[in-house]
Amino acid sequence: MKSFAVAASAAIALLLPSTGVRAEEPIKIGFAIAESGWLSNYDSAPFKAAVMKIEEINKAGGLLGRQIEYSVMDTKTDQARAATVGAQLVDGGVDMLVVSCDYDFGAPSALAAKQAGKIAFSLCAADPKMGVQGVGSLTFTANSAAQSEGIAIAEYAQKKMNLKSVYVLEDLTIEYNKSACAGFRAAWAAGGGQETILGNDTFKNDDPSIASQITRLKGLAKQPEAVFVCSFTPGGASAVRQLRAAGIDLPILANTAMVDNYWLNAVPGLKDFYLPAFMSLYGDDPRPEMAKFLESHKARYGEPPVSSYAVLGYSLIEQWAYAVEQAKTTESEAVVGVMNSFKDQPFTAGPTSFTDQLHIQVDRPWLIMKVENGSFHAVEVYRNSFKPDMKLLFRVGQ
Amino acid sequence: MANIVQVLVDAIALGSLYALVALAIGLVFGVMRLVNFAQADYITIGAYALVVPTASVTPPLLLGALPAAVMIGGVLLVVVVLALLTERVAFRPLRNSNPSTLLISSFAVSYFLQNLVMLIHTGRPKSVGIGQSLANAVEIGGVRVPGVQLLTMVVTAGLLVALVLFLKRTPLGVQMRAAAENFQMARLLGMPANRVIALAFAISGLLSGAVSLLLTIQTGTLDLRMGLMPVVYGFFATVIGGMGSLPGAALGGFLVGVASVLLQTYLPADLRPFRDAGVFTLVILILLVRPQGLIVTSAAKERV
Repeated sequence: MKSFAVAASAAIALLLPSTGVRAEEPIKIGFAIAESGWLSNYDSAPFKAAVMKIEEINKAGGLLGRQIEYSVMDTKTDQARAATVGAQLVDGGVDMLVVSCDYDFGAPSALAAKQAGKIAFSLCAADPKMGVQGVGSLTFTANSAAQSEGIAIAEYAQKKMNLKSVYVLEDLTIEYNKSACAGFRAAWAAGGGQETILGNDTFKNDDPSIASQITRLKGLAKQPEAVFVCSFTPGGASAVRQLRAAGIDLPILANTAMVDNYWLNAVPGLKDFYLPAFMSLYGDDPRPEMAKFLESHKARYGEPPVSSYAVLGYSLIEQWAYAVEQAKTTESEAVVGVMNSFKDQPFTAGPTSFTDQLHIQVDRPWLIMKVENGSFHAVEVYRNSFKPDMKLLFRVGQ
Repeated sequence: MANIVQVLVDAIALGSLYALVALAIGLVFGVMRLVNFAQADYITIGAYALVVPTASVTPPLLLGALPAAVMIGGVLLVVVVLALLTERVAFRPLRNSNPSTLLISSFAVSYFLQNLVMLIHTGRPKSVGIGQSLANAVEIGGVRVPGVQLLTMVVTAGLLVALVLFLKRTPLGVQMRAAAENFQMARLLGMPANRVIALAFAISGLLSGAVSLLLTIQTGTLDLRMGLMPVVYGFFATVIGGMGSLPGAALGGFLVGVASVLLQTYLPADLRPFRDAGVFTLVILILLVRPQGLIVTSAAKERV
């Protein structure tokens, strides 16, 4: 990762002499992200895409006529270190701090930025606490709330797939899944009635077997028309494998964390598996801006992004840069003011809205994808109409 | 009725898996008084041996691409060699030190191995499609038995019998039991300590390799922490079974597996998230009633 920084500064250094005197100080963006440890796998793809956007901006003449410089520090997937690293970057004078793709690991860095009055932007935290009510009014996340994933697939299943009943299998390991499941249940009950959720069961991501959950599902007096699994890999993949192995051929609905082909080997011949995704990495996304993003990524790095979460990192820089242009300054309050006024502002990741209360997306359109012939395929873009209220977003009084 | 039989099959299958892990832990504990937490990483590395070691998220198969018999042999060999290697490097030099030093050493080995896997394979979960035909369920009289559950039960039963025969009928087995009973005395009577301990590690590697394969066929996924939960459960199993007692370890494995499935099945929905707490409560209760575990070895008695 450091080589990017070096390459970028080298590129800038090459550019500067030719343009003559240095007009102004460069704009600085800090990345307090995991470059090692387990979280690095989630941070690295959106980070690379964010770097790509910074390079594009620089090539096009910079932001407010100034080049963007960036520096990266490794949190090593450690919460205490995330706080230190965040503070160090802020002390180094960054104008904006990009933090990890997770509330628990990103919040310590975001807090450091908040204390210095700087904007913190999470690559892909799906928890609304990464915003006004949690870290503070200068904190944003580039992702949608996890609830919105569950809502979108519930609505899609009812309205477009015409499914009448469902069974919910909830992975309790992390809060993200519980939020996705809460959103799903709320939207499903709103659309089809509470009684059409024929049952709920729970498992843990590292359970070696979900045999008893399968036995309960098979023992239901009335079989559901679909199963919603809110989980993430590897446990989610293992659950799908075991469901299919047990002869449960119902459509399986899932949340976004199960996107991308890398786990499909676990369930050879999988079909009838649907989820809401950010974009397709497989060349069939109906939105031209995604095809462009994919092409640029291939040109820059010689390969497509390793995960479709990448587009969030790209769009994060895009959103902040747009707000800076509008505000004509990098001063935090002014930029946040512009960002809070975004209402379906078109960006690569999709229409984006922020308010002074919500710094996360709740109804950005999703690309519904399905698995067939060993790959995810784009089905269509779908926007949920049911919007989660604050109670659902923060899962209080549920 | 069919439902109850089904639940029992689920329970025994999971119990079998935990019994295998518990045996692997118990065997080493028996001869060395070492709770080897690196056991989890033996399982993980055995599973990762199925694919080519690269940073790719969709790696090509390595051992997994070979014919079944060679693949099984290969995975078992990898884990046995790994177990022997860790014994030689990390445990043999510390043999005469305090059990807690050994425990710390096992944490160090575990930490090292985990980071080694992360370095080579990255921390991203991967998937591997071996034994799909085995994963599919067969219906026997209205009861659904996934092939892998059947396999787990058969493998566990087979390995148990083989282990018992080995311990009772072969000179090395007898020496191993003697070492478990009283290591000093056995040594004074001419037991080759290095060989017996190495053998215990080799067998525990063999059992761990079997667990690697069974887990991978069941879940189809590879993950850094995949060995952790089975080993935590296996450790509880050895504790409630009676530390150092092999029948106890197997029995304990079955008990925690069965308890886990029964709680998952019969707890009301609101309490189901606390399934693991239920299993651990059971462990505490058993230890309150029988602090030495269910099956007490004479070696353990002397140590009180």
